[in-house]
Amino acid sequence: MEILKYILKRILQTIPLLIIVSLISFFIIRLSPVDPLAELRLNPSVSKETLQRETERLGLDKPIIIQYGKWAKSFVKGDLGVTSNGELVSAKLKERIPNTLLLTVIVIFLSWSVGVPLGILAAINWKSPLDRLLTVLTSIGMAIPSFFFAVLLLIFAVKTGWFPVGGLTSSNFLEMSFGEKVFDITRHLVLPVTVLFTLSLAGLQRQMRANLLDVLDSDYVKFARAKGLSEFKVIFKHALRNAINPMITLLGFEFAGLLSGAALTEYVFQYPGLGRLILEAVLKSDINLVMASLMMGAIMLVLGNLIADILLIITDPRIRQKNGGQA
Amino acid sequence: MKRIFYIIFVLAIVIFITKACIKKDMPQDAAVQLRPKAQITDINYPANQKNITINGIDYLQSQAPIGKFGGALVASTIGEGPKAFNPFNSKDNISSQMSDIMYDGLLTTHPVTGLPIPKLAKSFEIINGTDYIIHLRRGIKWSDGKPITADDVVFTWRDIIFGGYGNTSIRDSVIIDGKLPEVYKLDDYTVKFVTPQPFAPFVSLLSSPIAPKHIFQPAVNKGKAYFDTFLSTNADPKTFVTSGAFRLKEYVPAQRAVFERNPNYYLINTENKKLPYLDKLVYLIVGDINNEVLKFEGGELDVIGLRGANVARFKELEKHSDFTIYNIGPDTGTMYLSMNLNTRRNDKGDFYVDPIKQIWFQDKNFRTAVDYAIDRKNMVLNIANGLAQPLFTAESLNSIFLNKELKPYDRDLNKSRELLKKSGFYWDKKGRLYDKFGHRVEFNLITNAGNTEREAIGVMVKQDLEDLGMKVNFKPVEFNSLVNKLVSTLDWDMVIMGFTGSPLEPNGGKNVWLSDGTLHVYNMRLEKDLNSKRFDWEKRVDYLFIHGALATDFEERKKFYDEYQEIIYNEKPMIYIYSPLRIYAIRNKFKNIFPSSLGGITYNIEEIFINREGK
Repeated sequence: MEILKYILKRILQTIPLLIIVSLISFFIIRLSPVDPLAELRLNPSVSKETLQRETERLGLDKPIIIQYGKWAKSFVKGDLGVTSNGELVSAKLKERIPNTLLLTVIVIFLSWSVGVPLGILAAINWKSPLDRLLTVLTSIGMAIPSFFFAVLLLIFAVKTGWFPVGGLTSSNFLEMSFGEKVFDITRHLVLPVTVLFTLSLAGLQRQMRANLLDVLDSDYVKFARAKGLSEFKVIFKHALRNAINPMITLLGFEFAGLLSGAALTEYVFQYPGLGRLILEAVLKSDINLVMASLMMGAIMLVLGNLIADILLIITDPRIRQKNGGQA
Repeated sequence: MKRIFYIIFVLAIVIFITKACIKKDMPQDAAVQLRPKAQITDINYPANQKNITINGIDYLQSQAPIGKFGGALVASTIGEGPKAFNPFNSKDNISSQMSDIMYDGLLTTHPVTGLPIPKLAKSFEIINGTDYIIHLRRGIKWSDGKPITADDVVFTWRDIIFGGYGNTSIRDSVIIDGKLPEVYKLDDYTVKFVTPQPFAPFVSLLSSPIAPKHIFQPAVNKGKAYFDTFLSTNADPKTFVTSGAFRLKEYVPAQRAVFERNPNYYLINTENKKLPYLDKLVYLIVGDINNEVLKFEGGELDVIGLRGANVARFKELEKHSDFTIYNIGPDTGTMYLSMNLNTRRNDKGDFYVDPIKQIWFQDKNFRTAVDYAIDRKNMVLNIANGLAQPLFTAESLNSIFLNKELKPYDRDLNKSRELLKKSGFYWDKKGRLYDKFGHRVEFNLITNAGNTEREAIGVMVKQDLEDLGMKVNFKPVEFNSLVNKLVSTLDWDMVIMGFTGSPLEPNGGKNVWLSDGTLHVYNMRLEKDLNSKRFDWEKRVDYLFIHGALATDFEERKKFYDEYQEIIYNEKPMIYIYSPLRIYAIRNKFKNIFPSSLGGITYNIEEIFINREGK
């Protein structure tokens, strides 16, 4: 019951937040000097009438506040509007979301299932050659900028011909059998996943290692050891439980990054995900599309934090008590 | 000791990685030696396609060598891909390129001569310059098997185009004195168009696509708002009924559009087999030029347009690779330097252009001096890697209306100085230029930021003009603000910009050249200034453009357009810089490749086939 109340409170808190986010982003986009019709204006074969019609169609002839009002009204109703080319924003997003999710979910799954155990391993074998080697490797992983690494891998793909150069499916995808389709997508995913995996693995491994080392140094671990518990029990029953808390907060952020975290890599690999769509929309000041993606990002962030907080309440009795006391 | 080992280890990794990334610089070969220009003039174009009637069906017969059926060609488009497959809704190049593949027009242009030739039509006649009689092919079919008849043509022109559905640019350009042409059905296979008065550009508009009435009629009935979403990129490919060589098979957003051959296409080879040879035509949608190059090198693309530094690299690769590079001549766009000739005031009563500068820019000697100070050859060598041709005319170099009398000239600083002296300009001891009233000659030069080519030109123009003692403040500005300056606030001195053009129809540039045009940038007149004073030569250009469109005979039209080019060449409201060359690379396995300056490289996609063995 307490938890439900807490969730409700948190959801109510997000409403003014979303309004502020939407106001700020709408005005910034509209006040920027990007003119969605600039290309048309400089085309010698476009007539004055066409320009006038386009201006009216995009609502550019009205004051910004009215444009915002119109947008907000339809957004609340669940209508995301149309892009500057007249396509439905929701349809556009629906095309791309599964692709991005495919990429990010694989990356998150891989990096957590490898990064956390490696972190634990490094912490247990603190200052051993293994720990040092992992430290060097993760330093490299964190230091390489993702776009640079992506470009390197692309060159690798071109030179060896082992992997396709970007994209998600081959041009004869439609004629493939199911098994071939799976193989084709896997082949296309290897490089972008490698880039994102390397980056997020490095961060996770370090975080986990540091957390666990902190905890291993604490009095209750020393006490547990002194009590003569087996090393396995000390680490996995007592130390790990306490070390995992910051990781859960991190998981909340990862959730927010599900849809927007891979934009740069997507762009370099020409991956048909949300990143490319939104970048192009921003460059063209395609307001409905940009707003939809910004709102989506904001909602995902809020939601991710909420999930992390709830998980924390479940895993950490200390927070549960504090919250109970307040409410 | 251990630490030192680690440091060495890490350093070694870094060095190896960077070493692997660094490629030896290519020797800077200023002018890349392309295969002699003969490459394109040497091509033996097949004889013209001709009409042939078999079993009562009027086919078009290709005279190109006979090839093998099957296979696919993979091309690419840069950007976001098509926005619509409805040929009447396309507002950008990629969308119209995609719909042109699927929908043929009545006429098309000859890839070499640029003259109109029949396509979907069997033949056409022009009577008195106003009546266009089109004879259609009997017995040819849409991809769903329904016949293509005069009803489709009349429906397309009367209901869709003149009705103002979709993109109205065709309609806008055929309105003559506020009147639209008429279209009549004479019989099932004959259509007549009547323009209110002779209007030469109309014949090139007859290459606009024709829609299948039985598919488009319901969409038209549902109104304009529905029509705008009809056959969008979300449409089911199976619903496409086409007349062109290919029809849509699959569209995957941000990845590719796949076209398959239309089994009912009316073009046959000399063995009377139906073309096209290729089973599939694939357009990959790539985000930027670098990715496109990588994809070509990775073997995913079969044909690619090349620019600048890439050409040199590909030239090296070509020797031991499976592709050939073709140079198909100068681009159709024009790049220019222009001065603001505006002498009017804005709403607040201030001059758009500082009156001191107005005197310079209005002075023909000053403009000519600037022109002679510009070193085009140097720009071609240094900015375009030698892959461009200096430009001196308002029409592009491959235009069929190009005035060949207008000769190119070299940079001549002495001539510039002489002209400036004639107009009373003088230099101080440090070589700085002053006008006859003692004002230092200083002005701003703008171009759009982010376009590296134009920025480089700006820097070189600045240096060239500083040799004359002028002070040039070069400021690249953001594209949108630049457009805003050019067409509404008009507060600029000198600009470097480019326009797209058509090599076939100068009338497309009328918005630039008519003195009340919406893009008459060098002397832009806003609504309130439409009746302001005009230069004599501006009036003459107005006259030439209006009458050039009314004349119908090519030779007669050319006289009008020759004179306008001569006026611009002499008066120099726009100083042209250079036209980049268009360079393509295509895999050797494709045969029947007859690149032409007007058509490009894959204009005859129906005739192209794959032959892997030898040449």
